[in-house]
Amino acid sequence: MSAPSTAIEAAGLEKTYPGDVHAVRGISFEVAAGEAFGLLGPNGAGKTTTIGMLNTTVTPTSGRALLGGKDVPKDPMGTRAISSVVFQDALVDLPLTGRQNLELHLRLWGANNARGRAWLNELSEVVGLTDYLDRPVATYSGGQRRRMEIVRALLSEPQVVFLDEPTVGLDTRIRHDLFDVLATLRERTGVTILLTTHYLDEAERLCDRIAVIEAGRIVACDTPANLLGALGDEVLEVRVDDTALAVQLLRFAGIPEDDILVIGSTVTASLRGISDDKVLQQVRGGGVGLRSATTRTPTLDDVYLRMTGGQIAADE
Amino acid sequence: MTTTTAPLPGVVNGVRVERPAKPVRSLGTLTKRRLALTVRSPRSLVLPLVAPSLFALVIASALAHTIHAGSGRTGYMTFVALSTAGLLIPMNCLFSGLGVIVDRQQGAMRELLVAPIRRSSIVFGNLLAALALTVFQVAVLIGLSAARGASYTTGLRTLWFVAAAVVFVVLMYGLAEILTVRLPSPVEYIGAVPALAIVPYFFAGSLFPITALPNCLAAVAKVLPLTHALALFRYGLTGPSGVTALHNIWGLHDAATMAVLSMGVLVGYALVFVFGAVRLFTKAGTS
Repeated sequence: MSAPSTAIEAAGLEKTYPGDVHAVRGISFEVAAGEAFGLLGPNGAGKTTTIGMLNTTVTPTSGRALLGGKDVPKDPMGTRAISSVVFQDALVDLPLTGRQNLELHLRLWGANNARGRAWLNELSEVVGLTDYLDRPVATYSGGQRRRMEIVRALLSEPQVVFLDEPTVGLDTRIRHDLFDVLATLRERTGVTILLTTHYLDEAERLCDRIAVIEAGRIVACDTPANLLGALGDEVLEVRVDDTALAVQLLRFAGIPEDDILVIGSTVTASLRGISDDKVLQQVRGGGVGLRSATTRTPTLDDVYLRMTGGQIAADE
Repeated sequence: MTTTTAPLPGVVNGVRVERPAKPVRSLGTLTKRRLALTVRSPRSLVLPLVAPSLFALVIASALAHTIHAGSGRTGYMTFVALSTAGLLIPMNCLFSGLGVIVDRQQGAMRELLVAPIRRSSIVFGNLLAALALTVFQVAVLIGLSAARGASYTTGLRTLWFVAAAVVFVVLMYGLAEILTVRLPSPVEYIGAVPALAIVPYFFAGSLFPITALPNCLAAVAKVLPLTHALALFRYGLTGPSGVTALHNIWGLHDAATMAVLSMGVLVGYALVFVFGAVRLFTKAGTS
């Protein structure tokens, strides 16, 4: 079977809802076959709308969307045939058994053959669902339902699986458990994954590349390592009474304004080789009302906040 | 975009299918799904029958006894018992619509919307399930009322009853699907059911001929699809006396012509409602 090497291509995708609500403002990205790509952003950033435009539930206002080389708006049936979605909420027929839910998917995707049923059993085994398969889904725990939905999404061996915030509302243990399952299944199937999440650890754990999306635009797109690298080796985080003064002092210590982020009473600065002792000395001596100070390695949280939620000092 | 001929690494079991399931097959799957969700126990089949059966078996008989109207050719018992189908069908279809609302709010509707099937087949799958259940329940109702003393004729003309019942189910289910889009909250939806299923029942010649109504209400009754459905039910199952119901609508003398006209009205309504339902459903599935 031949398949395009680019599994997902979005070019200038825009979605404007009535009332001039710009949900997505010209998003472009490409995802290679077999790649796991993360869309990271706060609520309302346009992540789910972007996925919707790729899975035919949202009609783009303009731009181009290709899935497995197929034009999404022009060939909706074709694109649905090669993709699956794990939604934010558990969308299953609760009165039916897990097996009935899974077989429904097989039938609708035209894969209810002997191989499909064998694959169902195999995937269920991999995620530890076999013992529950013949029980009504209403009796499943939240984690078991999610496992079932992930198995369901992979049953027709889609080229692309959309995971739209699949761990929302689940506790930390189940989240980790599910991502372990996802990693295993990804190794097993090589499926292309488009994940939306605001859990940065999930994106870092699963994704080869991450696009940070804010107010309908992609503001950064790179590998997790490169995104982290952009912040240097160390960041200083201080909690102070006077953030404006702290910012001035940090700039005086040689830190560029683009590397300073203020959220509430917390000021974070990328050190980029500048001694933390020197900077702290500057801050302490300035009378900013220092409450705490920490030096640590940057995390994707820092990248994310810098791109989406932070208030850059220079804008104050 | 560049393309290669290398297979994706994910194709390990050969399950992947790039050609969607055939429409008839997916329609069958969706109908089976809806039936599985609706008929989870014998109770779910029997409960909807309780009220109409009581109506046909007890109330119709009591009314016939009280008002001594049973000496006509059809008999009041038969008259009322048959009209109970005109209550059962709208109630059944409109309550089937609740299943669609549950599907949207808690069920797998969005999974169906991203399946490689025509979205109209979701509506038609639900419709076929509603049709199967309603036909079964109407058959039970007719059987029970016959056992209680209602008098029905058999023969080819019965087909008018069958056809009218099927078209009326299609019509009412189309209306139910439209309502699920317009009134997506279960509370609002349930609030609308009596107005749509019960109120017309009293004006459509169910308990008395429409000629007993004031002229203005009789004129309204003539445009109600239930009036035409009941007239065709009677034409199909109560022999020549059923012609009266058609005559009360059309004022003609040729029974076959009037039956065709009433069937035309029903089919027209059904087409409008089903077309509207499919259109609204499809539109609601994509924002």
